[in-house]
Amino acid sequence: MSIESYNGGAVMAMAGKECLAVVCDKRLGARLTTIGMNHSKIYEINPYLYVCLPGLATDALTVYQRLRFRVNMYELKESRKISPQVLCSMLSNLLYEHRFGNYFIGGVVAGLDPATGKTYLYAMDCLGAITIGTEGFVTGGHCEEQLYGTCEALYRPDLGPEELLEVASQAFLSACDRDAGSGWGAFVYIVTKNKVELKSLKARMD
Amino acid sequence: MFKEMQSLANAQMTDASPHKVAGFYPYADNGGTLAAIAGDGFVVIGGDTRLTTGYQIYSREASKLTKLTDKTIIGSCGCWCDSLTFTKGLHIRLQYYLYENNKPISTNATAQLVSNMLYQKRFFPYYVSTIVAGLDADNQGAVYSYDPVGSTERHRYRAQGTAGSLIQPFLDCVLGRGNQTAPEPEKLTKEQAMIYLKDAFMSAAEREIGCGDFLQIMIVTPQGVEEERFKLRKD
Amino acid sequence: MFLTRSEYDRGVNTFSPEGRLFQVEYAIEAIKLGTTAIGIATLEGVILAVEKRVTSPLMEPATTEKIAEIDAHIGCACSGLMADSRTLVDRARVEAQNHWFLYNENMSVESVTQSVSNLAIQFGDSDSDGNAMSRPFGVAILFAGCDEDGPQLFYMDPSGTYVQCDAKAIGSGCEGAQQALQEAYSKSLSLTAALKVLLTILKQVMEEKLNSSNVEVAIITPAAGYRMLSKEEIENAIKEIPA
Repeated sequence: MSIESYNGGAVMAMAGKECLAVVCDKRLGARLTTIGMNHSKIYEINPYLYVCLPGLATDALTVYQRLRFRVNMYELKESRKISPQVLCSMLSNLLYEHRFGNYFIGGVVAGLDPATGKTYLYAMDCLGAITIGTEGFVTGGHCEEQLYGTCEALYRPDLGPEELLEVASQAFLSACDRDAGSGWGAFVYIVTKNKVELKSLKARMD
Repeated sequence: MFKEMQSLANAQMTDASPHKVAGFYPYADNGGTLAAIAGDGFVVIGGDTRLTTGYQIYSREASKLTKLTDKTIIGSCGCWCDSLTFTKGLHIRLQYYLYENNKPISTNATAQLVSNMLYQKRFFPYYVSTIVAGLDADNQGAVYSYDPVGSTERHRYRAQGTAGSLIQPFLDCVLGRGNQTAPEPEKLTKEQAMIYLKDAFMSAAEREIGCGDFLQIMIVTPQGVEEERFKLRKD
Repeated sequence: MFLTRSEYDRGVNTFSPEGRLFQVEYAIEAIKLGTTAIGIATLEGVILAVEKRVTSPLMEPATTEKIAEIDAHIGCACSGLMADSRTLVDRARVEAQNHWFLYNENMSVESVTQSVSNLAIQFGDSDSDGNAMSRPFGVAILFAGCDEDGPQLFYMDPSGTYVQCDAKAIGSGCEGAQQALQEAYSKSLSLTAALKVLLTILKQVMEEKLNSSNVEVAIITPAAGYRMLSKEEIENAIKEIPA
């Protein structure tokens, strides 16, 4: 078992019409043992911008703190909010700085422009290679394959917030149920122009 | 599973000798994806027709489905040479069954035979993922899946092969409905099952390079077996 | 007659000039020395009944078993050399279990009979390994069971030839019993009526007086499978038949 899948866990972000769903599971494992059932992998940068760090939990915490430091410095220096594109570059650079001796995590950046309603989705590997989520969803973590299967089959463009919640949850839970390393329910952020809702989903607890 | 076996084999090779030895690798992974859905009075089984080794495509027209009887289909993928040998051997065993018992073999008996035939090579296994799909004695659809050494289970629906991990959760969602409180929709029809299969393979072909070219579907009803083909991504 | 035979009846693999295998014919004759066994197939199930010769009051009748279970859905009745029958019954049991192991379904009665006949015909086969004998088996067997095609009765003789029957009698009283069966049998016979017919015929052909310890009865039905009748059940059935 690789060190990246030591703690398990899965994340996903899906774009709708002027809305965004950011999803992660709640499991924290140590190989086959589950040691936490309420472990979020989503970190809020601001209410319109989220970063998900699936992979080795200790690295995820470190990377988030370092990223937070850089975001704070950026916003102080520039006197403006960080945009999804900049955050993505920042995280990518942070990861690539550790090209030799890398962090064992992936990265997903999801953001919504509150002015235009445009959504931004990015995914990257442990070295910071960016994939832009032009298809409307990005995935990461232990059951990435399963997530690609469900998202590809269930995703439709221009969903409203309620439908997006349903589709994203179904895609995410179905994928997690076929992966022993992820599960124990899910957190879903539904981000719209004027509201952020955090849902806690219950699923099969095994 | 395949990857693990391969790496285990490699590890043993290097352990045996400190020098670099040209190892004997009797297995190949030629990819391929299978999925089957059972219903009341029918079963549909689909397989892609792409045959690969690594990033190379050997064939775009390799059928992974074989009709065994008017009621039973077998799908086999993984190591192509093992698939061919196994299905050939199975044909012989079924012919023997016909002669010894004066009746065509049932789907359930075929399912058990396949498990035994795979297990007989427990220590030099056929490197294949297998699905047996057919109608049982009550004309209900039956889907049996196997690992390379014959471990088996009967399912209502099942996906196997390279894109099995992509398709299975989708089928769980639309057919298993494990996380849904909405009432069960009306009885699954053959047509609806075909749509699910097509959706599943088209989605899988988007993301899994080992899956593509064509989707071959066999539809088993009490009236017999029909076959259909659909185009998938070719890249 | 014996003079003409004597040249050709020593080996099992030598035909006589008339094209006969005397050892096989003698084996078939040997059956007629055995106890009477009768089988009858109805739409509801199959019944097997055999006579047990209790030759001494000091003998324990329960230890002679002429009816054997092959599988939960098949039984058989033997007449002839009982020691030989053990080998054949054992083969039938192995084949039935092997079929279940291989195909997860019950073996059909015909297939069981076929597999036993494969063994029965291997006599004198020096290349064959294992159970092959140097002479024909001295038993005839009635295989009775319920499979996909319903209740069935098969008769197999020492040459390995087998045939499906509605009703069949073998053993010492077979000629009289077969005649009586032909008169009494009809397809629509109920299971209880068939049992009565069987016991009546057995009573006629047996030398001893029919009672619950010198007869064995087994019934095979699609629902309950193979079941041996208890002493009490046989006693009750005997009471029903005309004295």
